[in-house]
Amino acid sequence: MNKIIAVAGVVIKELYRRKDFYVLFVLTALLTVAAGAVNFFHDEKIVRYVKDICLLLIWVSALVIAIVTTARQIPAEREARTIFPLLAKPVSRAQVIAGKFLGCWLATGVALVVFYFFFAIITGSREQIWPVGMYLQAMWLQWAMLAIVIAMVLLGSIYFAAPSSTSTISFIVVVGILGIGSHLKTIALQQAEPMQFILTVIYFVMPHLEWFDLRDFVVYDQTLVSWMALALATGYAVVWTGFFLFLAWLGFSRKNLTT
Amino acid sequence: MSVILKTDKLRVEFTSREFRQATKTALVSLDLEVNAGEVFGFLGPNGAGKTTTMNVLLGFLPPTSGAAYLFGIDVRQPIARQRIGYLPEMTYYYKFLTADELLRFYAKIFGLSRADTDKRIPELLKLVELEHAARRPIKSYSKGMQQRVGLAQALINNPDLLVLDEPTSGLDPLGRMKVREIIERLKNEGKTVFFSSHELGEVETVCDRVAIIHQGELKAVGSVEDISAGHANLEQAFLKIVGVQSQPLP
Amino acid sequence: MKISPLLVLTALLALAFALATGLASRAEGWSARTKSDNVFGMMFGDGRKLFANHFFTMADVYFHSGYYPSVFDKHAEEQKEIISASHGKKETEEDEKNEDFLGKPKDWIDAFGRHFRITQHTHLESHNEREILPWLRLAADLDPQKIETYTVGAFFLREHLGRTQEAEAFLREGLRNNPDSCEILFELGRLYRDGLHDTTRARNVWELGVRKYLLRSPEQQKEDSMILDELAVNLARLEEDAGNYGQAINWFHLAQKVSPNPGALQKQIDDLQKKLDAGIPVVPQKLF
Repeated sequence: MNKIIAVAGVVIKELYRRKDFYVLFVLTALLTVAAGAVNFFHDEKIVRYVKDICLLLIWVSALVIAIVTTARQIPAEREARTIFPLLAKPVSRAQVIAGKFLGCWLATGVALVVFYFFFAIITGSREQIWPVGMYLQAMWLQWAMLAIVIAMVLLGSIYFAAPSSTSTISFIVVVGILGIGSHLKTIALQQAEPMQFILTVIYFVMPHLEWFDLRDFVVYDQTLVSWMALALATGYAVVWTGFFLFLAWLGFSRKNLTT
Repeated sequence: MSVILKTDKLRVEFTSREFRQATKTALVSLDLEVNAGEVFGFLGPNGAGKTTTMNVLLGFLPPTSGAAYLFGIDVRQPIARQRIGYLPEMTYYYKFLTADELLRFYAKIFGLSRADTDKRIPELLKLVELEHAARRPIKSYSKGMQQRVGLAQALINNPDLLVLDEPTSGLDPLGRMKVREIIERLKNEGKTVFFSSHELGEVETVCDRVAIIHQGELKAVGSVEDISAGHANLEQAFLKIVGVQSQPLP
Repeated sequence: MKISPLLVLTALLALAFALATGLASRAEGWSARTKSDNVFGMMFGDGRKLFANHFFTMADVYFHSGYYPSVFDKHAEEQKEIISASHGKKETEEDEKNEDFLGKPKDWIDAFGRHFRITQHTHLESHNEREILPWLRLAADLDPQKIETYTVGAFFLREHLGRTQEAEAFLREGLRNNPDSCEILFELGRLYRDGLHDTTRARNVWELGVRKYLLRSPEQQKEDSMILDELAVNLARLEEDAGNYGQAINWFHLAQKVSPNPGALQKQIDDLQKKLDAGIPVVPQKLF
């Protein structure tokens, strides 16, 4: 485990030294504050649109951080050839994959905590209410979803040498699932065969990332999601993450690396 | 005398995707043994199979058949690399880390305790004369400094076997001298050094034994004196073994 | 020959400036975008109307606290309606209101997924209706010709938030952007009657609305007949309340021409006629 944590530590150091996170945070903060400063019909109690915009920016930023950081991990190690001194040490490829995953996941987790803290301050200052439980649920589920995304991107980065290809494909897949994941069955039923069959199969076998999006609950002040559902969703994320990491390890362990 | 590094009928084939799955044999059937405490030079012309052998020994590449062992452990097991240090030909380190952070990272990978790490890092930084730059990011280092960081990381675990891939290529005279000093020092400490090189003069100076590989096959193995016997020097012997006659310039 | 880089750069800048002076006057005619008086118009051109529609829908989504059918749900609903219509079933408005667009879960994935989406049909209340206003403001900025934006916004401002002044300003803005809109005049009349209790101004703007309607082409009049119905019926009620029964009957007669239920209006005309018969005889008057 120490070796995995050591590899993860390097990933985290890289992230906060590359400054991507700071740029995204400043952008999110600026846009949120700008949106919050707009005066609509002289009513200062309007708040939901600010929450909506801020949460959208948080989701986009977190996805960018998670996907872009993860996509470059293995290709950058190979391109800069840092993988060779690393693998020449008593570390297995499975530990490298696990370390890379853990580093990216923890790094996005830290970013999420900062983003949600900012969100809570901004909305709390306008509404004077602090639904901490809801924020924690929303943040936890988003982080759990990012675990699946990071594992998926890590898998992609084993097969696509260019981080830009992995990032682009991952963005399309993730945004596609978030956008139409829950409607795919409805769409399938409106299609003719064989498209209906294909879409139905995709609906049943894809990871349902849309479950992890509680933005509407936060924006519309809904009651908390049941803890049992939350636990099941977390379990679902663990299973999918494990599945993608296992595939990534299989691919990476079979890769011939030559100096 | 115990065998530290061993290859047993090692064969590596590469299948080319471009040329209708044509197969190229990089190593034919390599049998090699390196004993504890010796400095072993691994020689061969370009494309002879030196790098492929190194790649197998370090676990980067699986052999097509045969096996390789470090300290009696199959190289496919990560634990086989617990007691080795590896210095690659070029500097391949995380440039956003400082030398101190890089050494701490590798120390963690080797499972060194915090106390041992705290003791070991200043020693190594002193050895490679980088104490003054320990907390600067590696990207701000000169090429020579980066190579010295490489040397320090190769020694972080106080290895019993040091694997050096073309250790002096691209080094300035001072750097070469430093590497030679370190090899001598390790030899005096009873450690084993295995290195590949083109620099035959250097090999002649520091090696106890050498192996010459050509077209994936082991052509000769023995002490420098044995191989050089009957030739003006090791270079002449090497050229004869690999089938090239030196020609006087017109 | 050696050419100084500075000379090349200066020559290129001079050439760019010369071309710009020649092109500036021509470029104005290339796109209506540059003439737009607001920043959205300049940025998006006519494409801004798409965003305006989206933001208008967002206001509706907010009003329903996120319980809202997606485009896919809507499409599926349309398909269902076509099928039920072909089987001779006709749903009432009440049925539609009670209908749950989500329906029963299609499978376990759908069932579990409902833990993480809003499944209760609620409407904003207790002054939380204010939350829809930013989207309506944005929709109006993006498409100043979208009349519903002004009427809906003004309705919520006046009826739910009691902010008559802002509602009037919003409607006035809408009227400036759409001077021939009967719909905005109708809403403005309601604001005067119900919000400011100023029946004279209400009558004036409604009568102006009717005049604007009558200036429309016959095809347009047919298409927008509902607004004439609303204007005429409200004017009739206004006159009835003021005791001008004859005038009220005339407005009801006008409404009858376009009303989907002229029989109900006839009953009201008859009632007014009785009141009138008890007093002053009916004198057919010109409306304007």
